[in-house]
Amino acid sequence: MKKKALSIVIAAILGLSLLLSACASAPEPTEVVVVEPTDVPEPTDVPEPTEVPELPKIVIWADETRSPIIEEVAALYAEVLGIEVEVVQLGFGDIRDQIKVAGPAGEGPDIFIGAHDWLGELVANGLVAEVNLGAKADSFFGPGVDAFTYDGVLYGMPYASENIAFFCNPDLLEEYSVARPETWDDVTAMSETIITASGGEVAGWTIQSNDPYHMLPLVSAYGGYIFGWTDAGYDAQDVGLDSEGGIAAANWLADMSTAGYVEAGVDYDVMHTLFEQGQVACIGTGPWALSRIRESGVAYEISAYPAGDATNGRPFLGVQGFMVSAFSENQLLAQTLLQEVVATDEFMQAFFDIDPRPSAWMPVREATADLDLAAFASAGSAGMPMPAIPEMSAVWSAAGNAEELIISGELGGEEAFMDAAEQIRTAIAEGN
Amino acid sequence: MMVDTKKSRGSKGPLAALSKGIGRYILILLGLAILDALGIWLLYLLIRDGAWPVATPIAVILILINVLNLSPKLFPIRWQIPAGAIVILIIIFPMVYTIYSAFTNYSDGHILSKQQAINRLAQDTYLPEGSQTYNWTAFRTEEGVFSLWLVDQGGEDYLVTLDTFQDAEPGEGIIGPADENGVPESLEGYQRLARLEVIKYLPELDGIQFGIYPDQVQIVDLDYAAPLVQRYSYDPELDTIIDEKSGIVYYANEDEGYYTSLEDQNLIPGYMVWVGVHNFERLFQSPAFRGPFLRIFAWTIAFAVLSVLTTFAVGLLVAIAFNDPDLKGRKLIRSLLLIPYTIPGIIGVLIWKGMLNPHLGLIPLTLERMIGWAPEFYNNPFWAKIGILLINLWLGYPYMMLISSGALQAIPDDIYDAAAVDGASGWQKFWNITLPLLLVSVGPLLIASFVFNFNNFSVIYPFLEGKPPMANTPTPAGHTDILISYTYRIAFEGGGGSDYAYAAAITIVIFFIVAVLTLIQYQYTRQWEEVSENV
Repeated sequence: MKKKALSIVIAAILGLSLLLSACASAPEPTEVVVVEPTDVPEPTDVPEPTEVPELPKIVIWADETRSPIIEEVAALYAEVLGIEVEVVQLGFGDIRDQIKVAGPAGEGPDIFIGAHDWLGELVANGLVAEVNLGAKADSFFGPGVDAFTYDGVLYGMPYASENIAFFCNPDLLEEYSVARPETWDDVTAMSETIITASGGEVAGWTIQSNDPYHMLPLVSAYGGYIFGWTDAGYDAQDVGLDSEGGIAAANWLADMSTAGYVEAGVDYDVMHTLFEQGQVACIGTGPWALSRIRESGVAYEISAYPAGDATNGRPFLGVQGFMVSAFSENQLLAQTLLQEVVATDEFMQAFFDIDPRPSAWMPVREATADLDLAAFASAGSAGMPMPAIPEMSAVWSAAGNAEELIISGELGGEEAFMDAAEQIRTAIAEGN
Repeated sequence: MMVDTKKSRGSKGPLAALSKGIGRYILILLGLAILDALGIWLLYLLIRDGAWPVATPIAVILILINVLNLSPKLFPIRWQIPAGAIVILIIIFPMVYTIYSAFTNYSDGHILSKQQAINRLAQDTYLPEGSQTYNWTAFRTEEGVFSLWLVDQGGEDYLVTLDTFQDAEPGEGIIGPADENGVPESLEGYQRLARLEVIKYLPELDGIQFGIYPDQVQIVDLDYAAPLVQRYSYDPELDTIIDEKSGIVYYANEDEGYYTSLEDQNLIPGYMVWVGVHNFERLFQSPAFRGPFLRIFAWTIAFAVLSVLTTFAVGLLVAIAFNDPDLKGRKLIRSLLLIPYTIPGIIGVLIWKGMLNPHLGLIPLTLERMIGWAPEFYNNPFWAKIGILLINLWLGYPYMMLISSGALQAIPDDIYDAAAVDGASGWQKFWNITLPLLLVSVGPLLIASFVFNFNNFSVIYPFLEGKPPMANTPTPAGHTDILISYTYRIAFEGGGGSDYAYAAAITIVIFFIVAVLTLIQYQYTRQWEEVSENV
């Protein structure tokens, strides 16, 4: 008897748990609204009079750094505006993955924060709606707005931009009496001087292996590029690693490797530890590393990247912003919140304070008293938006491996970059 | 005897329950009724939303529960319902779904259903050329009916409702006098909404077309209203989408999952379609298959075999060493040796990755100080492989120790006594008695361990993501890549973002490879069994 009751309970629990889990993911049916502009449409239904109007609700997805700020500000405004705002905290990268599943299932947010280089994927999947900056468009950092523009449509309201810049340790430079390198050839000369003088204890310059992001300022300085830039954005058919400039940059790196001036097997931690311990004079890194470098007490100076044959090294520009889900039932309200609440000095200042990186809101960006951040901003003035096109996924491993093979001395510069460009073209051709 | 019991129990069933007490039978029926009600409601929701893949297994489970409880023949095996349900949900359903996905184009750009893609496109609007925008102010009646006061770029005023669009002047008729901005302060029967006040009504105003065709406006934001027009209109009969802005017609392309124009332009987003064996063809024609595939396959087998051998050897050694009951503190030591087993694998790998770091890691730095040389675990292909085997050894030996200890205690002492009488040495005892008898019981577990390591992505990827890189390969490949990490890259680092369907197809191919290898190994275990019969 007991056993039977138990089986019924188990079956019921199983059924219930299935029910609950399925309800959680059951997508809301959405009616197709097909308006034939050529016909005279029926007048839209008069909204039902509501007795006790339920507060309109906006769900925002944000990462752990920013969600407390959004929550605080949103609570303030919510009272004034008569709307309800719910902030859901997710890891920054998780937002990208989850939006793909939750959006179409009707469980997604109305607004979410993210990086501009997700756009290719988000747009291809139909997950984001057009964003309208309205009268406030001019107050935003232009390249930031450009970065959130995909195929001519704006999909995000930027709040911060970031890029890497060139860090040198002035104490070390003085100790070995070398000037801060202005060109990549200077970097070679500096490396030679410092390594010879220190007997190999201190290096001139070091770079994260297998990381195209940190390598781009070198490649671009010689005129190389990842994808060609046209008026319509990046052109995936034009792969520029094996362009003349790209090869020149690769050969420079290969020469450094042959001379023993650049070390293999360096990752993010190693690079920073070496710099903080005064074992390398110059590195390239981003604002996210500022706090650890400051804490280490090492002397540092931030500047633009050295120049090659073509130009000063141009880093990738990464822009973060707010996006509106295409599956939001309240897109107009979401848009309005962005315009009225987010695009304000108070909000943008709070965002800047919690995580200092150059703001995409001009009043805050220009008011930055932080010299380091100003230096980052100026190093990024010539930056190129990180390609947001989906084809970029073919680049990371191919270009990174080429860099590592050059540094470890396994391949020459030209061969490595030719191979990488070929790998990228193959992957793109196959992916389409 | 067993059969008899089953038969006699089988003849019970609901009727027997009835004879024992009607209450019990009613209880069963009641439980079933409630469960069915819930289940059918759930199925209705799922099917209404087109969630067939989830609805199907639930329907199967529900039917099974009913059949098993109501059929007198099957009544005795009703206790297997929970197990059966779990098998269906977590084994069969994911398998079927993976196989199904492998025959679709489910990937970035094709994650929506066709209906969802059409709905998404229906959201897009555009402003026809030459049309103007208006500043607006909203008025609302207590019943929730809205009117807008519009001012166009030339300063002309209009009053619009849901079905009217007319010129207006403040102070005329029901319209109150103008404020300092020229907007009427009041409208009879309506309440004027201040700029911020209107925000909470936006969900109601969203998408409403005010006025009457062709004079219509929609609210764009708090500042502007404009005669927005829906850009893409869908024709369900022809299954085409017309771009009203350019006049281009897009036809459903069921081969690729796009609406495509005659000029081969695709509308974004695409949708998911059935593509047959396309993903398998792609895999076998891929340059990834012509390239470093064989080298990676060889390393995959080497990695799996060496992982099993090293972990088993060390685990067995430790088990034998601590099998002696006279050893003091052996329980404590054995517990300590089990620690790696209790640490989440990924954390173990990351800790080891740090310790093997050629610049900062404990092991290379110590070696450097002691012997003046340290292996380059990150960038030398040979040492990277040694590194990954070391990590896997650390992670894997406690399991082998556990299963070996158990198996060792199951070997009867009298066999050893007999061997001792025959004058066998310790080594001979181990080689001729312990090992063969052990292999009989742990052999299948070793094969399972081989299969596990063959696909041990969670050790390979966090360590070096398959690096160091191989030179001159047509697709990016690394020296520590095993099949699963290599193909992961093919599926997720291709030119088009993440390709889940392709990944599913690759998974199926790898499944067959592992199945064949496993079958071959089972042939070998049979030999061990023959050995054990001879002992």
